[in-house]
Amino acid sequence: MLDKTLTEFLERGLAIHIGTRNEALRPNGCRVTAVRVEDQGRSLIAYLPKAATPAVLEDLRSNGLAAVSLARPTDDRAVQVKGELISMRDADPEEETFVLGQWQALLTELDMIGLAPLTSTSTWLMWPCVAVKLRVTAVFSQTPGPEAGSVLS
Amino acid sequence: MSLGLEKLTPCFQGILPAMLFTCAQDGTPNAAFLSHVDYIDATHVALSFQFFNKSRRNIAENPHALVRVIDPDTNQGYAMRLKFERSETSGPIFDRMFLRIEAIASYVGLKGVFKLKAADIYLVESVELVPEEPGRQERWSPRGRRQLDPVFTMKALQELSGRMTGAGTLNELLESILSGIKEFFGFSHSMILLAGEKPNTLIIIASRGYPQGGVGAEVQFGEGIIGVAAEARQPIRISGLVRGMLYALAAKRRAEERGWRPQEEVKLPGLENPSSQLGVPLVVRGELVGVLCIESETAYRFHEDDKNTIELLGASLAIAIQNMQLKEAGDEPSPAPAPARPVARSTTKRIKRQIAYYRSDEVVMLDGEYLVRSLPARILWKLLQTHKREGRAEFTNRELRLDKSLNLPDFKDNLETRLLLLRRRLDEKTDDIRIVPIARGRFVLEISCETELVEK
Repeated sequence: MLDKTLTEFLERGLAIHIGTRNEALRPNGCRVTAVRVEDQGRSLIAYLPKAATPAVLEDLRSNGLAAVSLARPTDDRAVQVKGELISMRDADPEEETFVLGQWQALLTELDMIGLAPLTSTSTWLMWPCVAVKLRVTAVFSQTPGPEAGSVLS
Repeated sequence: MSLGLEKLTPCFQGILPAMLFTCAQDGTPNAAFLSHVDYIDATHVALSFQFFNKSRRNIAENPHALVRVIDPDTNQGYAMRLKFERSETSGPIFDRMFLRIEAIASYVGLKGVFKLKAADIYLVESVELVPEEPGRQERWSPRGRRQLDPVFTMKALQELSGRMTGAGTLNELLESILSGIKEFFGFSHSMILLAGEKPNTLIIIASRGYPQGGVGAEVQFGEGIIGVAAEARQPIRISGLVRGMLYALAAKRRAEERGWRPQEEVKLPGLENPSSQLGVPLVVRGELVGVLCIESETAYRFHEDDKNTIELLGASLAIAIQNMQLKEAGDEPSPAPAPARPVARSTTKRIKRQIAYYRSDEVVMLDGEYLVRSLPARILWKLLQTHKREGRAEFTNRELRLDKSLNLPDFKDNLETRLLLLRRRLDEKTDDIRIVPIARGRFVLEISCETELVEK
């Protein structure tokens, strides 16, 4: 579902959030430090900071549905990946370099538009993470404009 | 509500993008970036509705939403639980959000496509700290109030007013305003535009901090932050202009991919890449006198708390400028001519400059380069011809006002403002031709070059 070009875009270090919902259909969401595309694009691992609100993980355990929004700050190119929970685990220490590498790439992007000083992460808790593996069910364009929401895959 | 919404007003400047989480009736969650969140009151916010997207459809089915914002002062993230109440397509809330988006859209030729369809009003049910985005604490005083950079303080306003009262002419007044804005408010880039000769236009009469000067440049109503502030007669602050422009440009690219042809991008005077812009309409008794524009290369220079003082600043500048315009227009020339200044004669005439007047376009070109247009062009041409024909260098405002060939309006001719514009434009473009005031309502045309006058 996620081809090579899209995979390269998603793993380059983007501003990422995951949205879930509880049984009462109330939305929850949190920031995602990084993503990794697996299984030839059929699944995606979202690395959620362990410090994030527990409501998101509770929702995933409860109904498994997720929406991951990924955007490049320098041009607002954005994609949303819908998915269903496959598994959930603590991220391995050896994954830290990969995960924080993506986060650092995002900060470089932000620096290009003068926002790095405003998003100093000295206080943000982006690691350790929980690795949430999702089966990709749909992919949509979210780039602002009249075709936002069109199906990519 | 666990936290007061008032504390979050810095989050709503659009510097760091907000995130909107919704859920469809079938249970499918959705996450999307959000163009703009606006503070309405202690229990409500408005979200911009620009495109018919999935978030909007979800809200129609399920009114509950979660919005995450970041305080640009502290980097603290906040999560607001919202419930949709209503959409507004007119009124002050809609107008405020509409103007901001309209100004950004005009910069990228997207007016009409990148526009606000509605301001969606939500009840804020709760505000919580985002645990993975804890903020810095140093920008908060012990009493929990954000410590502001000293920008639009009452003290600075008082100091500026004090300087303005010392001005004896419109020229001195405009200079005192712009120098005061730098000295007391700390802004290096500012300009004042006054009503143009053509309807719904403004012309830069004075600027500070721009290498190209820009005096005489024209801005149409509705173009950029200046034109939109003039049209709406409301101050407009854009603190996250870079973010807003990127969002608009992304929308533009998508619209172009669908075959839509954008309007021409508006090239407006000012900084190449401003991060913060402020447009303050100068209005007296409902009449638009002009616009003050302040720019900064730093994001978030205009804080929410500055709003009231900015409006006060606009009102006092408008009155001061209009009073000075009326005073100068009503001034009789000094009864006895002041001693004539020595006018440069042939000994100093070295280079030859061609001055061409294009009558049908009412434009004066200096050595092939645009100099000035409209009434200032007609005045300059008249002065140059008289100087050439009669050898006269001294003139009065009154004789220009009575000269039918200049075609001044019968009411509010703004002659003094146009003369000032011409004088400043000449100062910017050449050292050889100058207009120098010598007494109340009198001036001399100083020419220190050979002139060839050509009418086309």
